[in-house]
Amino acid sequence: MLQILNIGKFILFRTIKFIILLFAVIVCSFLLVSYSPVDPIQSYLGAEMMVVREEQREEIAEYFGVNESKTEQFFHWLTMFLHGDLGTSLLYRQEVIVVIQERFLASFALMAISWIVSGIFGYVLGVIAGMNEGTMIDKAIKSFCFILASTPAFWIGILLLIVFSLWLGWFPIGLSMPIGMLAEEVTVWDRLKHIILPALTLSIIGISNITLHTRQKVMDILESEFIRFARAKGEEGFRLFARHIFRNTLFPAISVHFASFGELFGGVILAEQVFSYPGLGQAIVQAGLNSDVPLLLGIVAFSALFVFIGNLLADLLYYFIDLRIKNGETI
Amino acid sequence: MKFRNPFLRIGLLLTVCFIIAACASTNSHNDEKTLTKKDSLVLAIGSEPTDGFDPTTGWGRYGSPLFQSTLLTLDRDFNVQLDLAVNYNVSEDGLEWIVQLRDDVKFSDGEPLTIEDVIFTFETAKNSQSVVDLQNLKKIEKLDAQTVKFVLEKPQSNFLYTLTMLGIVPKHAYSENYRENPIGSGPYKLVQWDKGQQLIVEENPYYYGKKSPFKKLTFLFLSQDAAFLAAKAGQVDIVSVPPNLAKETIPGMKLIALDSVDNRGIMLPFVKPGYDAEKGIEIGHEVTSDLVIRKALNIGIDRDKLVEDVLEGFGTPAFSVADKLPWWNEETTIEDGKVEKAEKLLMDAGWVKNADGIFEKDGIKASFTLVYPASDQTRQSLAIAFKQMAKEIGIEVKTEGKSWSEIEEVMYSTPVVMGWGSHDPIEMYHLYHSKYRGQGYSNANYYSNEKVDQYMDQAIHAITPEEANEYWKKAQWDGETGFSALGDAPWIWLVNLQHLYFVNDHLNIGEQKIQPHGHGWPITEFIANWTWEE
Repeated sequence: MLQILNIGKFILFRTIKFIILLFAVIVCSFLLVSYSPVDPIQSYLGAEMMVVREEQREEIAEYFGVNESKTEQFFHWLTMFLHGDLGTSLLYRQEVIVVIQERFLASFALMAISWIVSGIFGYVLGVIAGMNEGTMIDKAIKSFCFILASTPAFWIGILLLIVFSLWLGWFPIGLSMPIGMLAEEVTVWDRLKHIILPALTLSIIGISNITLHTRQKVMDILESEFIRFARAKGEEGFRLFARHIFRNTLFPAISVHFASFGELFGGVILAEQVFSYPGLGQAIVQAGLNSDVPLLLGIVAFSALFVFIGNLLADLLYYFIDLRIKNGETI
Repeated sequence: MKFRNPFLRIGLLLTVCFIIAACASTNSHNDEKTLTKKDSLVLAIGSEPTDGFDPTTGWGRYGSPLFQSTLLTLDRDFNVQLDLAVNYNVSEDGLEWIVQLRDDVKFSDGEPLTIEDVIFTFETAKNSQSVVDLQNLKKIEKLDAQTVKFVLEKPQSNFLYTLTMLGIVPKHAYSENYRENPIGSGPYKLVQWDKGQQLIVEENPYYYGKKSPFKKLTFLFLSQDAAFLAAKAGQVDIVSVPPNLAKETIPGMKLIALDSVDNRGIMLPFVKPGYDAEKGIEIGHEVTSDLVIRKALNIGIDRDKLVEDVLEGFGTPAFSVADKLPWWNEETTIEDGKVEKAEKLLMDAGWVKNADGIFEKDGIKASFTLVYPASDQTRQSLAIAFKQMAKEIGIEVKTEGKSWSEIEEVMYSTPVVMGWGSHDPIEMYHLYHSKYRGQGYSNANYYSNEKVDQYMDQAIHAITPEEANEYWKKAQWDGETGFSALGDAPWIWLVNLQHLYFVNDHLNIGEQKIQPHGHGWPITEFIANWTWEE
């Protein structure tokens, strides 16, 4: 009972913290956009500016809501937000929530696949490196990770695109479905083919973090008393890993991986740009470039929630691990 | 070392999976390619109209609205042609426009297009708070079943261009979601719009006009790099490219460079330094308010060289805001690159070169700062090249990149690199009429000339486009004065960009109009005339 109460309290605290954080994020984003040099009306009209009369520009300003002062605009948005209304995107002339719904599914599939793939590969590589500390394999994996960690996602994306799509022709150039094909004819296989390269790009970026973390964990555990004891009993190699190391490193690895939701979100924006993949990333870039305040704030709030859930899950995992240790259970 | 085997095995398995997957995908990829061609095209020509395909909020202003059709159209030489209208006429006072409609037109859902739809379209557009500007439209009246009367607040000869740009939407099928499910009387109907990716359209069986040989079009919304790669991989038939990619070659495709009025020029403050108390802004510039300086720069710089050096040859020299359009005055083309002539002009006006080779007069140095939007590389290069050319004449130019909001602060008192280019002569009205002085970007250099104002007002009040064009031309140069480089020269027009496309060798897109500022969609204007040649 006490445990459930504790967890309840924990989640409550976290949520309160999140609400404060969300507010701060929104205020910051709003300040940034309001000082952005992009005038939404100018970016909407472009070269048409000279064809549109001043009176009409007033009308557009009214529609865009830029006639009000910055504080008025902000409180206007905030009241709507508190009522659960994210407003209307200036760019899409559509409700922000609808834009997010339409886009999130595509982004989510992309992130889920790459999150799982990078998790599995990253963990496996980390264990291999950790258990072979100091050998050529370890060094190779370590350098591989350092190189990846310092490589921009879009660059890897373009590289993969050129090699696999242009030279080898194995994968499509972009999009999430074949060119000119009707939605009802698109098969799961088609979808899969289109998601592989962007998901691969994202996974490659995510791998290094988890690999390096797992490698360190494995090395730490190998140093510990109980491993020495196990080794003394003659346990080596895969058996040693399966019996002692696997369970001790898996949870930390998963929680670290949950905590990387933020980077995942950042990476998906770039990957979607490169592969013309129609997700949230594409929408937020356009919103930023055109000063579409409602859409930008909507996506920012949404992604904050997303990252918060990732971090909450990571923390909960840690919490459970701690509980078990406290209760004297063996791991 | 035993323990490594399971991992290696998993790794190997995954690798094999990938290779199998990849091989399988190559096969289906080839099928796609051979299956359809000839009657279908894939185009990667422009950005996605994110606000959808609703003409009342601006869709289809340039190029073909695809899904809708307009009352009138302009042919390649900008002559007015009838489309949905069977005839039109304007009252003597220019306030009433009467348009008679064809009676045999159906929307793509099979419903007839009636006068009610026309009225509905214009009323919706007027209230749309969008780029479609119908502020001057007072009311629309139905005269009989096929005739409609537009009543204007003030005479406006360029209302004609609104009639050529605004596609008619069906009253019965118009809703909140119209922009996603457009129904219209145009050559194509929308089949599928995958947002952020592609637009698939098919022939409209009810279309009354000339049918295109292409039954299906797919428009891809790819980033410039991805579009180029897609073209290289042979997946698109026409792709728009930026100048830096135009030097590349794509097997099976030819480069087409279309002339445009997508111009870049330098706006020079026209008045002496001062303060506009009414608007609360600093205006004017000591040096550029001197007509001789403006004229010397206009004849002294070498526009051909700018095209060659900055645009890598993909452009044309610009002499006005509307080069080669019907309202452009050809006489205003000047001989440029004449450094000595420019120097002589300045010397005759009392300017003397100092030790640094810069002209001075009454203790004032012929020097100014030229501002360009820092985000635009072409404009930056133009500014820097201009600076060097000005120096040869003996005028010192300092260049400075700023953001648009910073530019808005200083543009009434500092020369700025700007770009315009519309298919509507009203643009000139806003740029050069004295009543627009200091109103946002309109006439930011505070240019005024009574004669020019008069000509342009006459152009606006004209009944026929021909008559209007005569006045537009006179406003540029009537033999004595005007806003062109021959007259007051408040601008130095530099270059018109060319719009570049790689087009499949078999695809013939024929002659195109002078392209407007916007890139991409305008090329679809004469899509009915495109042909596939084996």
